[in-house]
Amino acid sequence: MSASPENLIAILVMALAATMAKGGGYFAMRWLGHHRVVAAMLDHAPGAVLVSAAIVPIMNTGGAFVVGAIAGAIATRKAGGFTPGLFAAVGAVALARWSGFD
Amino acid sequence: MILPGLASLPFGIGFGVAAAQKGLSAFETTLMSVTVMAGTSQMVALDIWAQPLPLIALAVSVFVANLRYFVMGAALQPHLPPLPWYLQPPIWYVTVDQNWAVNIAEYRRGHGDLGKFLGGGFVMACIWSGSTLAGHLAAGGVLSDPTAARRLGLDFVGVAVFVVVATILFRGKRDLSPWAVAIAAALASRWLIGGNWYIVVGGLAGGLYGAMRDLRASNVGQS
Repeated sequence: MSASPENLIAILVMALAATMAKGGGYFAMRWLGHHRVVAAMLDHAPGAVLVSAAIVPIMNTGGAFVVGAIAGAIATRKAGGFTPGLFAAVGAVALARWSGFD
Repeated sequence: MILPGLASLPFGIGFGVAAAQKGLSAFETTLMSVTVMAGTSQMVALDIWAQPLPLIALAVSVFVANLRYFVMGAALQPHLPPLPWYLQPPIWYVTVDQNWAVNIAEYRRGHGDLGKFLGGGFVMACIWSGSTLAGHLAAGGVLSDPTAARRLGLDFVGVAVFVVVATILFRGKRDLSPWAVAIAAALASRWLIGGNWYIVVGGLAGGLYGAMRDLRASNVGQS
């Protein structure tokens, strides 16, 4: 269990920076939360964040990820839940790669 | 939450292997994962990890790499019960991609629960920290083989969580154009700026477009 003081200080600095970034949004909402534009924006932000987070890796990887995304979306709609959708998505990627579609 | 937590498993192992190669001890690697708990920013930090350690560059790069959590936290905050300031840090701590995605969907559907959010986050913290430790201990061994996880499709778990939760949240026609704007902005940002900014840029662009459209429609309706 070795640790150098320099590394420990760097890890502490990183932890503080991550906490500031994570907490900033919650903190800002204490003052901005009742603003009409902010409230309307936050109605759409979660979906926008999710599709933004998904689209870039899907487009970068292509092939199997596209198949997985379609399978996941269909299974979530048809089976109506998180777990079937997740299993279908990951299973479809594995299957696509197994059949040579990458 | 164990299933979404598995999203971090291959990445955590990869991070552990990379940290070992950079000369961090198993204790330092695990401590970083437990305290920072944000994989992408930890990986970014490893890129500039060299003696003497550039503390300011580390702080700035970790902060910027985690700016997407600013938007995520802002979106989740209105759903949470009022809490004293000293109870806020655990909530900030568990705000990570998959935990946020699963719980924002629950809150939107009226099933949100602070205990689930905190508990799920701590499960994810255990999986993340444990996988980085495993990667460090097995550096160069079988666990560091990225093709094994890839063959099983495990590299897609993180993205799959986003796709599945987006499908659950989808409200039909009213979401189509804000999501299209978000996708276009994210792709443009990835192409023009690079890095992880696409999540912040896409999220803000889609949210702002949706807000402007809704406010305009309600103003027209009132006049």
